[in-house]
Amino acid sequence: MENMLLIGLSRQMTLERQMDVVANNVANINTAGFKADKSLFQEYLMPVAHDDAFIGQDRRISYVQDRATFKDLSAGPTEQTKNPLDIAIDGNAFLVVQTPAGERYTRDGGLQINPQGQLVTASGNPVLGTGGPIVFQPTDKEINIAADGNVSVLEGTNRIDSLRGKLRLVSFAQAQRLIKDGGNLYAAGEGAAPAPDATAKVRQGYIEKSNVNAVTEMSRMIDVTRTYTQISAMLQQQGDMRRSAIEKLADVPA
Amino acid sequence: MRALYTAATGMAAQEHNVQVISNNIANMRTTGYKKQRAAFQDLIYDHVRRVGAQASDQGTIIPVGVDIGGGVKTVGTPRLMTQGTLSPTGGDLDIAVRGEGFFKIQMPDGTFTYTRDGTFTTDATGRIVTSQGNPVQPTITIPQGASGLTISVQGQVSVNVPGSTTPTLLGQIGLTRFINKTGLNPIGDNLFTDTPASGAPQDGVANADGFGDMQQGNLEQANVEVVSEISDLIAAQRAYEMNAKVVSAADQMLQSTSNMFR
Repeated sequence: MENMLLIGLSRQMTLERQMDVVANNVANINTAGFKADKSLFQEYLMPVAHDDAFIGQDRRISYVQDRATFKDLSAGPTEQTKNPLDIAIDGNAFLVVQTPAGERYTRDGGLQINPQGQLVTASGNPVLGTGGPIVFQPTDKEINIAADGNVSVLEGTNRIDSLRGKLRLVSFAQAQRLIKDGGNLYAAGEGAAPAPDATAKVRQGYIEKSNVNAVTEMSRMIDVTRTYTQISAMLQQQGDMRRSAIEKLADVPA
Repeated sequence: MRALYTAATGMAAQEHNVQVISNNIANMRTTGYKKQRAAFQDLIYDHVRRVGAQASDQGTIIPVGVDIGGGVKTVGTPRLMTQGTLSPTGGDLDIAVRGEGFFKIQMPDGTFTYTRDGTFTTDATGRIVTSQGNPVQPTITIPQGASGLTISVQGQVSVNVPGSTTPTLLGQIGLTRFINKTGLNPIGDNLFTDTPASGAPQDGVANADGFGDMQQGNLEQANVEVVSEISDLIAAQRAYEMNAKVVSAADQMLQSTSNMFR
């Protein structure tokens, strides 16, 4: 009889966690290059506490367990910003970022230039080209980033473009194995090896918005809240039932 | 319940966003104003079940983990340093820069600031100054009785003085550039100061070495586009509302738990 409480509790715990995932998606609804998380659940069969030999068979108890949060890696909508240092990636590729903790990968194309002239992310980590960080000269202007990732500029009064490097674009065969590292960055998890991506196109002057779908998240949120409330009500009824059972059975006539 | 705090970070971020957008709209008619945009990043994740961890003795690994994010943060409000539209004013001392470069202004305390606002006038001694009365560098003094003030695309200031048939060259207004313009520190009054992030100021003259040219009789409008600001404002407001809904949904869940047993 106590099983019902525990089963309900296992569902409520996963619902709470699912709510945390929804809250994080909604909080990042305006974060450039953000990829939404989705929760997956699985049945957890209790290995003991059943006996099929009873008449009116005793069924195995199944609990709920959250198995995974998987990343929805579909492309987000692109917004035109007209900023020469905003890029959106058309395809599955990621930009490579050099951080103190090693190479990280991002879809956030809101780039900047640091005092050393390096092309950096909004948090100041260098974005890597095929030959290391991309460095601009103080007299460079008219930065042009081509679809294949070639970064060219007009240096000084030159009329011909000078090449400053080529953005390194990588993709992953097992992109779900990427680990979200915060700061719009992904770390390559075990079994996720970056491979150069030749098919992805870079679009300058655009930025990839978050791929969080507001309607889906709101309906999932309502779903989670209602399910949670229903289970609470069910557990409450169970408690009431038990209380009345105790009262009636222990009611010794005077 | 983590969702409450996560949604709170979302509300705070959208509040920043609305502040930035409203400042852009407020400055849509400010000469030389450059619009800002709020940039966001996700916070660190709690890896409840780490992807790639070993799942059995046979060496199978977990293909997808359970990652719970902690919300969002505002990482910066980068300024979009694109060219604003030039609008002709006809003013002798209205100068717009078309291309790279900031005017260098000397402040009363001797330090230098930089601006794209070329609304200049002359002060009592004839110096070319900003609307606040601070001299444009290098200081150029227009003599009394001079007429026909001309500023070339290189910034050379020449006038006709009485008794002379050829124009007299008074000096050349300089320009300054930075490797990272977005790193400049705005101090209000359309002025910026240099910072370690912007890099050291590089002085030069217009129409040379990658500097833009000067357009006398024009002013540079703000580069704010009202349509995109309004649509951003709507998006920010809706995002704020949705985060508020998450707070109330999380609250409802907690409430149903606390009401479970009377």
